[in-house]
This record gives sequence, structure tokens and C-alpha cells, in this order.
Amino acid sequence: MEKVVQIKADRLFIRQVKSISNAPLKECMQCGACSVVCKLSPEENPFPRKEMLWASWGLKEKLIGDPDLWLCHQCGDCSVTCPRGVQPATVLSALRHLNYQEYATPRFLAAWLGKPAFLPVIVAIPALIILCILWLAGTLKIPDGPVDYSKLFPHPLLNGTFLSLVVLVVLFFWKGFRRFIRDIRKNQRVKIKNQKDIRFFHQLKEILFHEQFRKCQTNKFRSTAHMLVFSGFLLLLLVTLVAIVNVIFFDYPMSLWHPAKIAGNVGGFALIAGTGIMIFYRLFRKDIIGYSTYSDGSFLIFLLLLAVSGILTEWARFGNWSAAYVIYFIHLVLVWIVIIYAPYTKFGHLVYRVAVLFLASGRQVSGSAGPQVGRSAVGRSANNPQS
Amino acid sequence: MKDLANNTLGIYICTGCGINQAIKINVLQEGISAAFPTATCRAHAALCSEQGIRSIMEDIQTNQLDRIVIGACTPRVHAERFSFDQKILVERVNLREQVAWCQPVGTDDTRMLADDLMRMGITKALNIQVPTPYFLDHVDDTILIVGGGITGITAALEGARAGYPVVLVEKESSLGGWMNHLHKQIPFLQPFQAPITPIVGEKIRELGAEPGITVLKSSVIENISGHPGDFKVTVRQKGILQTFQAGAIVTATGWKPYDPRNLEHLGYGRLNGVITQLDLEKCAGQDQWDRLLPKEPVHGVLFVQCAGSRDPDHLPYCSNYCCATTLKQTTYLREKYPDLPVYIVYKDLRTPGHLEQFYQHIQQDDLLFLTKGDLNSIAEKNGWITVEVNNTPFGETLAINVDLVVLATGMVPSDSSELRIAYRQGEGLPVLKYGFPDSHFICFPYETRRTGIYAAGTARAPMDSASCTEDAAGAILKAIQCIEATRRGEAVHPRSGDRSFPELYLQRCTDCKRCTEECPFGAYDETPEGTPLPHPTRCRRCGICLGACPERIIDFSDLSIESVSAMIKSVHIPDEFEEKPRILAFVCENDAYPAFDRAGQKRLRYDAALRIIPVRCIGSVNKIWITDALSRGFDGIMLFGCKPGEDYQCHFIQGSELTQKRAENFQEALRTMMLEPDRIRMEFIEITDWEKIPGIIRDYVETIERIGPNPFKGI
Repeated sequence: MEKVVQIKADRLFIRQVKSISNAPLKECMQCGACSVVCKLSPEENPFPRKEMLWASWGLKEKLIGDPDLWLCHQCGDCSVTCPRGVQPATVLSALRHLNYQEYATPRFLAAWLGKPAFLPVIVAIPALIILCILWLAGTLKIPDGPVDYSKLFPHPLLNGTFLSLVVLVVLFFWKGFRRFIRDIRKNQRVKIKNQKDIRFFHQLKEILFHEQFRKCQTNKFRSTAHMLVFSGFLLLLLVTLVAIVNVIFFDYPMSLWHPAKIAGNVGGFALIAGTGIMIFYRLFRKDIIGYSTYSDGSFLIFLLLLAVSGILTEWARFGNWSAAYVIYFIHLVLVWIVIIYAPYTKFGHLVYRVAVLFLASGRQVSGSAGPQVGRSAVGRSANNPQS
Repeated sequence: MKDLANNTLGIYICTGCGINQAIKINVLQEGISAAFPTATCRAHAALCSEQGIRSIMEDIQTNQLDRIVIGACTPRVHAERFSFDQKILVERVNLREQVAWCQPVGTDDTRMLADDLMRMGITKALNIQVPTPYFLDHVDDTILIVGGGITGITAALEGARAGYPVVLVEKESSLGGWMNHLHKQIPFLQPFQAPITPIVGEKIRELGAEPGITVLKSSVIENISGHPGDFKVTVRQKGILQTFQAGAIVTATGWKPYDPRNLEHLGYGRLNGVITQLDLEKCAGQDQWDRLLPKEPVHGVLFVQCAGSRDPDHLPYCSNYCCATTLKQTTYLREKYPDLPVYIVYKDLRTPGHLEQFYQHIQQDDLLFLTKGDLNSIAEKNGWITVEVNNTPFGETLAINVDLVVLATGMVPSDSSELRIAYRQGEGLPVLKYGFPDSHFICFPYETRRTGIYAAGTARAPMDSASCTEDAAGAILKAIQCIEATRRGEAVHPRSGDRSFPELYLQRCTDCKRCTEECPFGAYDETPEGTPLPHPTRCRRCGICLGACPERIIDFSDLSIESVSAMIKSVHIPDEFEEKPRILAFVCENDAYPAFDRAGQKRLRYDAALRIIPVRCIGSVNKIWITDALSRGFDGIMLFGCKPGEDYQCHFIQGSELTQKRAENFQEALRTMMLEPDRIRMEFIEITDWEKIPGIIRDYVETIERIGPNPFKGI
């Protein structure tokens, strides 16, 4: 006997998905071409057709905490294939955005990040906090002499506030994450594996090398760009840790040829290259990217500016530029924007996607066998729906 | 056979397109000249060229030729180029597709085949006459249109505008039919976005302004007798009878809704809030929503598509209009109740043509929810209806609460016996499997099995009102075509322009009634004494009567029992020691013959034992030809016809089926001659089956070789 679901359409949710994705969501005719063409969709209950159906019927409770949203890398194969131009890839992106909002604490921050009108507030918050710290520390003035950033922002204070900020973000993340896991368990479409069943190294390999991601056809550049951003960011994070250790135990600043410094520069340029490619495609290849949401776009720009300002900060120090401290300040604000808003922006996928990848690691993916298997998957779900 | 010394016969052999490579032309020509010494016989490198045509024309002038035999390409090409004067008989022999292109070069067998085919063609030409057309004393221009709905009205307008007087008979007191009940109409022009005001009002106004249209309201047909070109129509209008003549008839008697009382499983009659699309349409038109819905409906409205359609227990077919009608009706509800969700449960949402745009546009509404699925259960609870839908792409059973359920029911054709046609075969139109009178929905739209009576609109097939108007225009053109062809004394369909017609030598008729019963088109009535009474303008010239007649009294001037028998006898049958079997093949001109041509065009090789006689329909093969061929010494006989059965492809509907039935008669002929049953084989092939032809023939030749030569050979 099939499970009976009482239909109660959430009209507001339909409107939200439509306005965030700018996709003609309701015009989906449930043909399933999206699921057929998707190389990442599992054989059992493939996506994105069911998500499209739920979204157009306003079944919010099925989509909040839907693990399959996080198996999608938004490569766009479905959007290019869709005979009705409904843009499933963008719709899924909008659904992920609504998930960030749903699991965000405090929730209003997520809403602000989704609206261009709140951009000044979003920038002002970290800027004011930093200015406040500097004022309290009594260093709120442009120092004299050769450029030494610790004169503006003493290292213990910098590292202390940075680390406490990270802890705060992790705490907020944890709160949403727990509800997320609870919802996924409730939805029960994915069998949550026992601890020992999770193929940890397999998934780690996937995350590090983007094997599934590379299967995307329409936006082949995406996995490369993401790899650049991902590895660049990871390097920078490591370098930051090394820097903190250095400040405490060794000399700081490090020389330009210090291995950590080289790694930091490589990471910075990788980040610039990655975000640059992503922004380029979003601006000039709308044919394959489709509509890009504001929150995604602004996040990418923040990341790019973060990397650029980081490099400039470095150059400014070696070159003793007069604007060095202003650049440094801007860089700090951008670091904070990226870090503190992580749970409310696309950055949140770092947690949600990784969690789903590990938990759902046992699911069969039809991708390797190509569209033929996918087609049978759709056929089956139409004729003989799984309960 | 006619006088062999006929000196008005011209025989032409084209040597182009590879014919001269396959056959030694001079040997062939010498043989023919020896057999027909007084005939003009020439070969030409390209008969179809201007020069070639001119040489034939010159011979016609100088030698007073009246029969021309052309051995060249298939008669399916260059028909116009090789037609000279209507008084001159032209017979084509297929030396290209069926000899040069499918046989090995220069062999004895190829030469014998070409020689036989030429002799068969010449013999035929000598045994037939140029047809003299059948003219009626009077051909009436009037077109009778039965039914005053959107189809009938449009047909009347189209007919009148084409210059033909029209009489429109409507049984109700007002015109418009079902469309009078429509609140809005499905759009049929750009933009396909919103429902439009029904066009029928405007059409009725146009009808009133159009001269040349007589409208008889509150009238029923009392009797239709006669034949195309001259039907006698009696109409009863409020008790008064009036009679007039008509040249052709368009029947636009429309449809009936499928009886929803049969749909109790969908809640109709059982639950209060279950209605049909028609009920909803009427309420919407009168803005009487409170009759259907509570003052402030909260739950929603659910449409059930294919309610009793595409369902073997109810209507097995799709009615075509219901999906777009539901989409249209959702707009009524969504405009009236902006917060009320509307659900559509369908098997497949079918919106043919541009209606796809309408579908997509209507879908944009946030509170419209569509899904594929089946109604699992429907029950009333707490004052609302709960519908459970399963087999959906959701993978779960959906429970939906609604205030109203609307069933999209299908169309049932009207009863064509209202036409009261006074034909021997019955007063209605013969129907296909779903009860519609169409004779072939793809190849021959509007054609019914009664020549001169054309079905249009929903009387022909389920369709929406926009398609009805197109149908009306199509059917009226067929009616005009019929009147004009009848006036010229020609067949109208499918052998358009054929001037031959069946002629009966009634003195020898035994009143067996086989012709009157087997004619698929009811062309024969009966005299009070029981003898057949042919109506040549009803005839489609298939020759099925000729094939049926045991007394062999039916002939066409260009196809007769005698002419085919003569052709059979003209074939040279090698004696049994030569080990060259001969197989006679009757091949239907419509599908099988072109398939043979195609096989030749594709250069497929097949056995040279076959001697092909093309026939109008495989149903025209008379038993005597079988007997003639077997006693002549043919080792086997093949009959190639079109596909019979429910999805028949016979151009004359019943030809192949009747041939199957006559198989017993043919076998009887074999038994009396003490021959094996395998000496006759029937094959039903489609035009696309050309690839199978070599295999079919090889298989039969092997069968014949196994049973051995015909013992009548050489007797």
C-alpha cells in the first residue's frame, strides 16, 4: 500500500521559489527529461523531477530537508534539456537557498543576504564591529613608519577575535545542522547509514577530486572553477593557521619565500581564477548558466574581492604603499563577510552538501551508465512508483 | 481476342533507363513484329523525351493509330506525358521497374519475361475499349447539410461562398448546437492564452447575411434516395413534407456526451459535488456558481480527465477536446475564486497543435495543480469530498480535499440512421470500430462508405470546435468535387477521373445478389423483382462486383473478364521439361504494385517466374481467371492485396477481406481440377513492405518446385 500524503499547497513557498529562481516553475509538465539526463541522479527516486513536482505543488515540507538537493552540482544539463525551459537546475538552487534560510539562526540574516536592498547593512555589520574593536584597542589611526599591520590590528587581538568568530559561526551552523539532520532522517528517503557503513574515504576522495562533479556536460568549466576555489580556499585556511602558529611561536611576518607564503599566494590566485571563471560565465554565458540568483552572485563577488584584497594587502606591505592600511581594513571586512555569513549563503553548502554526501554515500548513482539507465529510472517512477 | 491484323495499333519500346542493357531490344522487337505484323512497332532511346512523344504523335497522325502500347517505365510515372487524345487508348507495360531493374542482364528468363509482359499488354489493349463516361440526365448543384451546429453552419457558409446553393437542415428550433451552451471557447488563434468568446454567434449572423443558403429549422430528414449528383431529399418540417434535389450531402450531425450515469465509480450520481464539464459550462455561462459550490469554497475543485475515456469498459478512444476544455474551465474558476486551488488529474494531458501554448500559459497559475494519476477513491466527509489519487509521479497516494469534482467525459457519435438513406444496404452510414462513419481517418478524411455523403466535425471523429470548422471546409470541398466529377462522368474517389464504370449484362443475371451485398459502397439497389439496380455515380470503380459475379456479367470497358482471360492466355508457358515454372500474380494497384516498383527502384532481384497483372483492387479478381490460369498451365497463382482487418489499408475498405472470404471458392476450383491447395497463395502487403517481396516470391517458387509442375501444362 502506498503512503498517503495529504495535499496542502503552500502558496507562499511557490511564490518564493519562483521569485528566487526566476524560473517558470509551474510550467513543468513532469516529463522527467531532467532526471533522465542527470548524471548524478540516483536510480531509485531520481531527482530533479520529483523536486520540480513538489515545488510546483507547494509541498514545502518535502523540500526542506530534502537530501537530494545536495547531490546536485547545478551543472545545468537538466536546464538545457528541459523542453519547457523550466530551468530545474536554477529551481534546485533556489530550493537550496530556501533551505539555508530555513536552517539559519538568526533567520533574518539569511533573508537580508537574499535582498540587494540590505547590501549596505550586510557590509556595515562586520565593518562596524572591526572599527569598534580597533577603537577599543586604541589603534584606530593610520600608523607611521614602514607598513606593519600589527600596528593597526595587534596580532593577539586579531587572532583572538578571528577564532572566536569562527567558533560563533560553528555554533550557529551546528544549531541549523542538527535540525537539518533531523529533517533528513524524518524524510527517510535516504537510508541514513550506520557510522561504520559510511564510506568515509570514498566520499573524501569525491570531495577532494570532484569525481561526480566532473560528469557534468553542459557546464564542464564548473568543476574546474569549483576545484580552483575549493583548493584555493583550503590553502588559505591552512596558511592562516600556520600564520597564527608563527605569530605565537616564530617570527612574523614571514618572508615572501616561506613555503606557507608561497602556498598562500598560490591559494589566492587560485581563488581569483576560480571565482573569475564563475563570474565570467554568469555574465556572458547565460545560455548555459541560466538565471543566477542575487545571493549566489554577491557571494562570488565577495570571494573574488576577498582574494584580490588579500593579494593587494600583501603587495602593499612589501611596497610600503600609503593606502596599505585601508586595503588591509577592506580585506578584513571581506574575510568577516565570508566567514560570518557562511551559514546563510551558498557557503552553507560546505556543511549541508558534505553531510548529505557522507550520509547518502551508499546510494547507487545512475550516472556511470549514462542516459539509458536514467530513462529506465524515469519510466519506473512513472509506471510503478516506489513507496 | 480482337483481330490480330489490327493496323491501328502502335507498339513502342523505350530503350532508356537500362532497358536496352537488360534485354536485347532487336530480338524483342522482332518477336513482337512477327506476332503483330500489321502494327507499327518502334524502339526509341527516350520515349518520354519531347522527341519520343513527337514520334508517337506523328504515327498517330499518319497511321491513324487508336491503340498505343508503351513498353517503358512504370505506369505510375509520366502518366500525363503519355496521354494523347481521350479517344486514344494507352496501355503501359512496365519494362523498367519490373524487368530491367529487378532481373539479371541479358538472360533468357529476362527476355521471356519482357516478351510475355509486352504480349500481355498488347493483348489487353486489343481487348478493351476507351471508356465512355456515364452521364446523369441532371446533376444538381445543391449541397445538403444535415445538422446546424458549428460544423454545419461553417460548411453552409463555405459552400455558399464557393458558389453552390446550400440547404441546411437542423432538427432543433435554433442553430448553434452544443456551442450554444458554451460560456467561452478554447482559443484557436494567436495568442493561445485565454479562452475566447464562442464564434458560433458570429457565424450564425454571417449565415443570415449569406445569400444562397436555405435554412430549415425544426426539420428532420424523412428520406434520402437517388445517388450522387441527383439525391432526392424529403424533409419534414413541423409536419409538412418538402422534397428537393441535392448533388452531394455533408453530414454534420455532431455528438452526444457520454452518459455520466455509467461513471458511478467516479462518484457521479452517488456524491452531490460530482458533475460533468457540461454542467460546469452551463453554470459558468449563467454565472450560477452557487448551484455548484458553497458561497465561500475553501478546499478546491478537482478535474478528472478521461472520465470514461480511453477505458475499455467505457469509451476506448480519446475524445480530443476534453483536456483543453478543462484548461479553459479552470480559468472560469480561478477568476471567480482567486484563492481556490484547482487540481487536474489526467492520464495524459493532450493538447494537440498550438494548444500546447494554451496549456503552458494556463499552467503558470500558482494555484493550478496538475498530475498524472488514477482516481483511487472518492468519498464525502464532513461536507467536503476527499479524493485519493494513486499511480502518480509523486510515488505516493495523494489525498486531496475538494468542494467539487468535475468529470471530463468524452464524445459519442450521433446516430447516422437519422439520415434515412434509402439504400438497399441500410439507412445509416456504415461505421468503423468506434462507431464513427469515417472510412479512413488518415488517407481519406470526410469519406464515408457512401459516395457523395461526407462526414464532418464530431459526426466524423471527436474534435474541438475549431477543428470542426476546418473539417466543415474540407468536407464541403469533397462535396463540390463529387458534384463536379459526377457532372464530368468521372469517378470522384479514390480513382479520381476514372471514366469507366460497371456495365451489367442483365439478361444473364441470376439475381444471386452477390454484387448488391458485397459492394462496400452500396452502389447497387434492387428492382422489385430482385435484379440489381446499379447507380454508377455511387460507384468507386473498385471492381469488387466484377470479382464477385459468378455469372461474369459485370464488365468495365477497360477491364473485363474477357480482357484478363486473354492476357492470361497470351503468356507463353514453357513445357514441363524446361523446368521454368510460371506464376501468375494479381497485384493490387494501390499498395502492392507500387511496392513491386519500389523493389525494382532499389534494384532488388526476384524470381523471373512471376507474370504480373495489376488489378484495381484484389477484390476484383474473379474465380474464372484462376481457373483459366491453371488450365493454361500456370504452376501457381499469387494474390497481392492490402492489409485487411480492423486497421485495414484496403482503399476500397473490404476488398482484401472479401478476397479472404473467397479463398474457399478458389480452393474449390483447385479441388475440381484435382490440384494442390498450395497452387494459390494470398499475400497482404503494405507499400513499405517492398523489401519483403524477393523473400515472399522465393518462398513461393520453392513451394511450387516442391509440388512440381502443373499437370495441365501443354494440354
